[in-house]
Amino acid sequence: MKQPVWDLPVRLVHWLLAGLIAFSWWSVHNHHTDWHIWSGCSILTLLIFRVLWGFVGSSTARFSSFVRGPRTVLAYLRGHWNGIGHTPLGALSVLALFAAVAVQVSLGLISEDEDGIFTGPLSSLVSIDTSDKARDIHELWFNVVLGLIVLHVAAILFYRFRGRRLTKPMITGRAALEPGTQPMRPGKWWVALICLAVSIGVVRWIVAGAPPFGHWTPPS
Amino acid sequence: MRLVSIALVACTALIGGCGGPETSQANNSSANISNDSRDVNQASANLEARVSLGDAAKIMHTRHEGMETIGKDFKALHREFDSPAPNLALVRTAAGQIAGLSRQASGWFPEGTGPEVGKTGAKPEIWQPQNATDFSAKLRNFQIAAAAFNAVTTRGDVNAMKARYADLAGTCKACHDKYRTDMHH
Repeated sequence: MKQPVWDLPVRLVHWLLAGLIAFSWWSVHNHHTDWHIWSGCSILTLLIFRVLWGFVGSSTARFSSFVRGPRTVLAYLRGHWNGIGHTPLGALSVLALFAAVAVQVSLGLISEDEDGIFTGPLSSLVSIDTSDKARDIHELWFNVVLGLIVLHVAAILFYRFRGRRLTKPMITGRAALEPGTQPMRPGKWWVALICLAVSIGVVRWIVAGAPPFGHWTPPS
Repeated sequence: MRLVSIALVACTALIGGCGGPETSQANNSSANISNDSRDVNQASANLEARVSLGDAAKIMHTRHEGMETIGKDFKALHREFDSPAPNLALVRTAAGQIAGLSRQASGWFPEGTGPEVGKTGAKPEIWQPQNATDFSAKLRNFQIAAAAFNAVTTRGDVNAMKARYADLAGTCKACHDKYRTDMHH
């Protein structure tokens, strides 16, 4: 009997994030810098949503359920852990990925392209030199994001060889649980809608160039 | 090749000479350009004769510096146009500099100044015979757009400036997307 482990918002954020990171990479390498910028804004929306959902979402979505200290991580490595959701070690990987993507988006917000044709929504808050440096670091930092993605996929393959399938639950949201394990306590759908509205609102505000975020003319 | 350059000269004369159906503002800019049609003709002549290595290094240096200056001007302009109160003196200076450099750009791409002789973002496609007309047209569009933008900055209508600035950005991008490598410097 399969029981819920990942709610819909968590799964949507996961796959949209994967798709948008791929799209961001493709678009900027194929002369679609304008699409790249919109893709980055969408990723920012996802990040804000996920942070909010990490406080008020379902039990496996909450930071309080999966962010644990080094002692629990070590205990997990010795085989003393029984639960659902992110494992104590997997949680570190999740946090690192989110932090790396957050850094990448922040750099993109203040960057401008080599020709001065495209600028990030918050580039007017910093100097031209800072924007140019931010772009250089933005390019380099992608390797950090990529490295963590490779690690993430490698870990999934590692578990797969040991007989645990992690991909399917991230699609269906359900997995067979060991007897006695607490299943996921779902969040409320209207709370998810509020989180979504807030995250879209914040990004919309930034894109509109409204104060205190400065002024920005979106790419036409 | 000779046919192509004759066609180019003819096109240049045509574009420089006619301005009939355009607005007065466009007339103004084509008048600015026709003064420099000599440079453009010179460039089409340059495409035929390969330059010496020494000259190539000089031209590539000038080209690099020129493009860098245009880029810096462009970044400064972007910020002014994003700001609620653009500094029009700065806008006019940058627009004038870009227009001036755009005219000089006619002499920046003689054959023999590609990646085979030194570090450059210019792709070899620029000098492939089948692209000669297209490249010249893109360079020409850039020059026309730079002159039109420069002309509109002399008046006070910021929205008109932004529109011509966007046109100009489009001509930069059209050429760079096709004829420039993603270089890091």
